[in-house]
Amino acid sequence: MDLLFFKIAVVLYLGASVSYLAFLLVSSSNRAPVGFWCAALGFAAHSLSILHRAIFSGFFPLASAFDVVSLFAWFVVGLFLLMRYRDPSPIFGSIAVPLASVLMLFAASFSYQIKQPLLPIMKSWWLPVHVILAVAGNGVFALMAIGGLMYLVQEWLIKTKRIGRFHRLLPSLEILDTINRRGLSLGFFLLSLGIISGALWAGSAWGFYWSWDPKETWSLITWFAYAAMVHQRVALGWRGKRAAMMAIFGFGLVMFTFVGVSALLGGHHAFGTTGKGITGP
Amino acid sequence: MSLGLLVIGLNHSTAPVQVREKITFPGDGEGAVTRMIAEVDGIEETMILSTCNRAEIIAIADDPSSAGEGLIQAIGRIHGISPDPIRPHLYFKEDLEAVRHVFRVASSLDSMVVGEPQILGQVKEGYKRAACVNATGPILNRLMHRAFFTAKRVRSETGVGLAAVSVAYVAVELAKKILGELKDKAVLMLGAGEMAELAARHLSTQVDKPIIVINRTYQSACNLAGLLGGSAIEMEKLDDGLSSADVVITSTGSRDPVILSDQMKRIMRRRRFRPIFLIDIAIPRDVEPEVNEIDGVYLYNIDDLQAVADENAGERHQEALRAETIVAEEVTKFMNWTKALESAPTIVALREKLEGIRSAELSRCNGKLARLDPAEREIIEMITRAIINKIAHDPISFIKQSGTRARRNLSLDMAQRMFKLDGFVSTLEPGEEERTENEPHHRNKR
Repeated sequence: MDLLFFKIAVVLYLGASVSYLAFLLVSSSNRAPVGFWCAALGFAAHSLSILHRAIFSGFFPLASAFDVVSLFAWFVVGLFLLMRYRDPSPIFGSIAVPLASVLMLFAASFSYQIKQPLLPIMKSWWLPVHVILAVAGNGVFALMAIGGLMYLVQEWLIKTKRIGRFHRLLPSLEILDTINRRGLSLGFFLLSLGIISGALWAGSAWGFYWSWDPKETWSLITWFAYAAMVHQRVALGWRGKRAAMMAIFGFGLVMFTFVGVSALLGGHHAFGTTGKGITGP
Repeated sequence: MSLGLLVIGLNHSTAPVQVREKITFPGDGEGAVTRMIAEVDGIEETMILSTCNRAEIIAIADDPSSAGEGLIQAIGRIHGISPDPIRPHLYFKEDLEAVRHVFRVASSLDSMVVGEPQILGQVKEGYKRAACVNATGPILNRLMHRAFFTAKRVRSETGVGLAAVSVAYVAVELAKKILGELKDKAVLMLGAGEMAELAARHLSTQVDKPIIVINRTYQSACNLAGLLGGSAIEMEKLDDGLSSADVVITSTGSRDPVILSDQMKRIMRRRRFRPIFLIDIAIPRDVEPEVNEIDGVYLYNIDDLQAVADENAGERHQEALRAETIVAEEVTKFMNWTKALESAPTIVALREKLEGIRSAELSRCNGKLARLDPAEREIIEMITRAIINKIAHDPISFIKQSGTRARRNLSLDMAQRMFKLDGFVSTLEPGEEERTENEPHHRNKR
């Protein structure tokens, strides 16, 4: 019963993934209603799962790697569903929903038991603020990278004059570039707030704002990468292909900071290590 | 049993353009011509379908084989010509064939450009005009609604309408994939040629801004701009034009390229890398091929566009085959519906027969009943009516409830023989059989 909703969500996401991939490979009309409804229902179950975990733990359920990765997947699907309102091309789902499914399975590989007793520092309101901002930023960057990937494919198809089914399934370059522009401003905003809130939390808990913990260092590197993108877009007018490649590169950094740093470099953000006793990225 | 449906007409595959352009049913804006057709002897319901590639009359007739001649004469009268020269170009389709034809036309499977989207709207208009002048009836109503439904299924379940197959249409679709909505985009025409003008006209339906025209001689640029509702600028301002335009169509007669790679690189910086779509229709080419390698510049020449159109046509053919199965399914459904109607005429004939017996018997006894006062006569009327209704009730429900087609055939046959109903002609009416006698557009012949 502990993970009932979570399991339902995983099954529905996997179903949606299969449906969207089938759409990508064989569909002749530009619609994928089954995948969409599976993803929407999965999202509802996923939301219930998070709510259930919150009631179960009596606090925002963000104190374990399981919950944080699951929240990441929740943002990816949520943002995708939100976007489907504006751009009706379902091909986005063929990447976003499988990505969310992989994240869900990744989350399931961690223990969902919350270590008791919770350290006092975890009972701060800074925890949900910091984690939600950071993970939401990651979710936006994920969709931005998917948009970037689709841009590169569509641009290549048009440049090399391969105007077939894939070309028609993919959205216009204009829409994909708009996703990049909006995603960049929203994601950069969230990332900045995530880093600032983390520093403030550290300040209030330990009395120093910045300690060059590996996660902090890599977050800063990621921040600089996205700051550079903002600069290129606003000041130099970069767009299209270059912006798409930057979005994919930036998301690589995000994923390394999110997963790789905790696994390889440790530090007080590391999942489940003793360190200074904090779990979560 | 015949449905009485008849389609008579000509299209791009049976008639050359010289014939097609003569048969246009002029003056049917308010449905006046449709009304004229509806007035032809033996025609119960009718509508006209007229597009640039097709002229058709869809009708329900008492006797489709003889009604055809009346319709041909009417076509001649309406257009003020002798009908004989067009006769060899006409096709006649009845019942099953006609239903299939109408469904295929509405689904754009019978179009010159298979899958083109306008035809459905044109069919709807023709039907609306006919409905406005009361020329349609139950069968045509049902037929057309099923045709619209079929077209919708074909559109959403197959890719027949997705791939563009004409060069101008391919260009517009590509422009949309590169630039998004075209409404606020600027079109520049470099040089004047017939093909370029065609493409520009096609684009101008999608774009709100006036088209900019540049030509070697300023005067001819002005002339063309006048025709297209655009404006002209001088050749010297080409770079300005290229900096502000989003779609450029080139078709100059120049022997050397007019737009060079280095020039375009400079212009892209000026444009702050806003994407630009260049369509080079000229032979020899107006744009250096290397231009396509610049980031944000998309260059297509006429051969590229033609190749896309050809490939799409092949793909569309595949999808059309899937669409045909949908049409076949819907035709079967419709034909089943028409079969369910056939009990109606039998029931009507049965009622008529019983009513005839009743009134005949009453009038035979008129003398004996003369001494009754009106109230008592009314009671006799009521009683006799009640008796025949009760007698008729069970056979009628037997006819209605016979389940399968074969059983229904059997029971209809039996009822007709038992009550000696032969000699009646079929009556067709959807829905409630009882309403048959009151409907304005039914075809009862007893």
